[in-house]
Amino acid sequence: MAVKILQGLLPFLLILGVSPLLVGLINKQKALLTGRKGAPIWQPYFELLRLSRKETIYAATASFISRLAPVVSFSAILIAGFMLPIGYIRPLLSFNGDIIVFAYLLGLARFFQIIGAMDIGSSFEGMGAAREATFAVFAEPIYFFTIGSLAFVSGYTSLYEVYLSIHLDNPSSLVFIIVSSISAFFLMVTECSRMPIDDPTTHLELTMIHEVMILDNSGIDLLLYQYSSYIKIMIYGIYEVLFFNPFSLHNQLLGFSLFAVILLLLSTVIAWVETMIARLKMKSIPQYLLFATAIGILNLLIYTFAR
Amino acid sequence: MTEYLFLIGCSLFIIGAIASLLVRPVKHALFIFIVMNVLALAINLIFSLKRLIELPSVNGLFPILSGYASLFRADGLALFFLLIITTVAIPTVISIYSYLQHYLHKVAPVRTFLFSFSLLLLSTQLLVFANHSILFLICWELMALTAYLGMLLDKEKEEVQKGSFIFFTTTHLATFFLYIFFFLLHNHFGSWFFNDFHLSSDAGTIFFLVCGFGFIGFGIKAGFMPLHFWLPWAHPIAPTALSAFLSGVIIKTGIYGIFRIIEFCSPLPVWMGLIILAVSVFSAIFGVWYALAQHDIKKLLAYHSIENIGIIGIGIGLGVLGISYSVQPLVWLGFGGALFHTFNHAIFKSLLFLGSGVICHNYQTRDIEKMGGIVHHSPWFVGLFLIGSIAISGIPPLNGFMSEFLIFKGFFNAAAALGKYYPLLMLLLAVGLALVGGLALVCFTKINSIMFLGTERSPLQSFKVSKTEYTALGMLAFLCILFGIFPQSVLGIISSVITSNHNEMAFHPYTMFTHWEFLTVIFVGVLLTIVCLIVWKKFNTRQRISQAWGCGYTSPTPRMQYTASSYADEINSIASHMLHIKKHVSVPKTIFPQTSRFISHTEDFSERQFVAPVYNYIVNKINSFELLSRTDIRFYITSMLIIAIIYSIIAIVWP
Repeated sequence: MAVKILQGLLPFLLILGVSPLLVGLINKQKALLTGRKGAPIWQPYFELLRLSRKETIYAATASFISRLAPVVSFSAILIAGFMLPIGYIRPLLSFNGDIIVFAYLLGLARFFQIIGAMDIGSSFEGMGAAREATFAVFAEPIYFFTIGSLAFVSGYTSLYEVYLSIHLDNPSSLVFIIVSSISAFFLMVTECSRMPIDDPTTHLELTMIHEVMILDNSGIDLLLYQYSSYIKIMIYGIYEVLFFNPFSLHNQLLGFSLFAVILLLLSTVIAWVETMIARLKMKSIPQYLLFATAIGILNLLIYTFAR
Repeated sequence: MTEYLFLIGCSLFIIGAIASLLVRPVKHALFIFIVMNVLALAINLIFSLKRLIELPSVNGLFPILSGYASLFRADGLALFFLLIITTVAIPTVISIYSYLQHYLHKVAPVRTFLFSFSLLLLSTQLLVFANHSILFLICWELMALTAYLGMLLDKEKEEVQKGSFIFFTTTHLATFFLYIFFFLLHNHFGSWFFNDFHLSSDAGTIFFLVCGFGFIGFGIKAGFMPLHFWLPWAHPIAPTALSAFLSGVIIKTGIYGIFRIIEFCSPLPVWMGLIILAVSVFSAIFGVWYALAQHDIKKLLAYHSIENIGIIGIGIGLGVLGISYSVQPLVWLGFGGALFHTFNHAIFKSLLFLGSGVICHNYQTRDIEKMGGIVHHSPWFVGLFLIGSIAISGIPPLNGFMSEFLIFKGFFNAAAALGKYYPLLMLLLAVGLALVGGLALVCFTKINSIMFLGTERSPLQSFKVSKTEYTALGMLAFLCILFGIFPQSVLGIISSVITSNHNEMAFHPYTMFTHWEFLTVIFVGVLLTIVCLIVWKKFNTRQRISQAWGCGYTSPTPRMQYTASSYADEINSIASHMLHIKKHVSVPKTIFPQTSRFISHTEDFSERQFVAPVYNYIVNKINSFELLSRTDIRFYITSMLIIAIIYSIIAIVWP
């Protein structure tokens, strides 16, 4: 029992500990691709440390909602991390239907992030929150089209079992998995506010979504928001990892090494996409998201009828 | 023995009703009304709980009154709806006390309101127990009439006259369909009693006629699209407690009726289940999308009722599929989800309506664009309203999520058990429900942000929330949290209700569907993390208060904040053609400042393309009979005689 709990805690600690490193890797590779030397890959850790020492400033118009929002949003994302299998270890919180709970816990985080931004009463935050809310409407359908369709096809409703059921044994399921992973990448870009939806590096208020929502947060609050955004990238990264289980082996050591390799690859892909593609116009983002939804539908149609 | 409890409860309602007419001064009448009704509701609540707990062993049908056994029936479904009614009505009645304090100078309307509210509570409870068609229709009429009378508290206002009239006519339209529904059933079975009605699809045309009339009649009451047109008119103008009761309970009687149809006409064919699913998803998505475009808080909540009725309908549709294919776990998940969501919606919608009543009263307007900054006056009130908002958006750890979770599980179950094209269909439904959840999130972040947060858009001296209002809101919020974190408290009851009402079903314990304790663990985990972080923040940081970042601009005014329209504009522009969102913009054409304005409103498609043309057509036709509407009384008497003769001829000739 104790061993099982420790084993279950391991992926969780991994999420907590490694997620800033993933962001550091992405930033480093982006810098290299654009011909800069770039910050060390440990930079996100230093930033979190720095933020933890800073004082927290609240806007005069802010209420208890601003003080509560970062905490709730961080907690919800953190607990959602408990449900993810890493290296074929059964996660601590794994049960029938955890797919749904997982999606809606992220919804809880989003709800509080939005009202936390709106609490300031500044139109900058209002703009960011309105955009975040709009794009989030598309995020959940994409989630159900990718991970949900895997669940419908396999007949399991627990993330762990769904991923154990993935087999790349025939061409139609190979296509299905590859297209799903592309759809999931679209979802990750939206949810983690990366390019081409949102630019995490600019600080021009009018072009941003996520960054403008946390404009008035500082100190511990900013730390929680930053950390939860790191964790979110990690969570969606793990999704991508889980799509690729080419050996259908459930060896834990192999699982962990595969996990590391695919995450590294993913960080390269993200860095490459962010270097090569410019930010989309705000107006065309819904089209981009609808495209991701549409390929999800097509994918499932193909899979259902090609079986 | 417990039967007497219900009798005592019902007689207390009548005492309350009479007292509210006779006791002087009206202040004391109000007090007696509250005490009597709360007492009666509490007794009936205990009655229903006691019976529901005994349910699996008693199995099904048992009479309330031994002498009149056949008139009333207290089966699982009826008891569950009684539980819903009483649970929600107690806080609603409590909130009346402070609401009516502002109306006490208008003695007669207040007395009428109290009288009709007592009878409304009584008739709604008798309705769910009725086993006799005529008794059901009497209760149905009484419920509609008393609700109408209750709406007229502010009868001088034009919008009240119009809204209540629309309610009155629509509810009679529903009754008309139900007359035919029960007439057809009576004609077929030669009995008025519910327990004699067992129609199977072999019966031919009559089966489809009964289903058609029944679904339309109860569908109007429940507010499925496109039969929902009366809801956005009736809810805003009703007094707060009544609009809470209207949305929480009265539209649920439509759902109760639909459950009865499913019982009478069993099994429904598969295509009917699919139609129910399609109509429900349509109602849910468009209900919430219309809600997004509203600025009137009560109208917005009315559209959310349509959305939630849609979600309940999805559950019912799944259950119907389960019966047709005889997949028992699916029946459980579908009907269980629907029943649980009915209960949950009653709770959080009452919470939101009562809350909106407090806000409207303090602001003297229902327009959310004029509000803002309430959180600085009354953070506790905002907290309670926020609980309701999170619950209705279907976000964990509150109750709205739990019932949606059951319905989601139903999708997965249907996909696995039914095979064929069902995985694809269920996936589309799941995506639809996820979309509804996303849109509800936008809508409720909108109203919470605009009404409560930021700074005041129009000056507000004080924001008063009385103790009774806090009590009412607190009770409902507590239930939201309880059913969210510990859903097992209701699921056991729902299990036995479904088993007792579907004889063919084996008993399914709710524990077979998932490990509920994991959900509790997760939610408690989230809450614990929140608490830990708050404590850490308290002890570990230096804090300072400063002005918000204004990009160098140092004197922002409240009018520079995002408004409800601008917040929802981005998402509404995607569906603006379907929703008929009209915008009127006038901006200065010159370089000099002039007045500019922006107005936006929506037109309901059902009202525009469906109700208004039909209504106009009928009015035109009736105008051609102007000959009959002379002031001379002899014309009336003659025409009445003619009608009576026609009726008697039909009655004699009828086979």
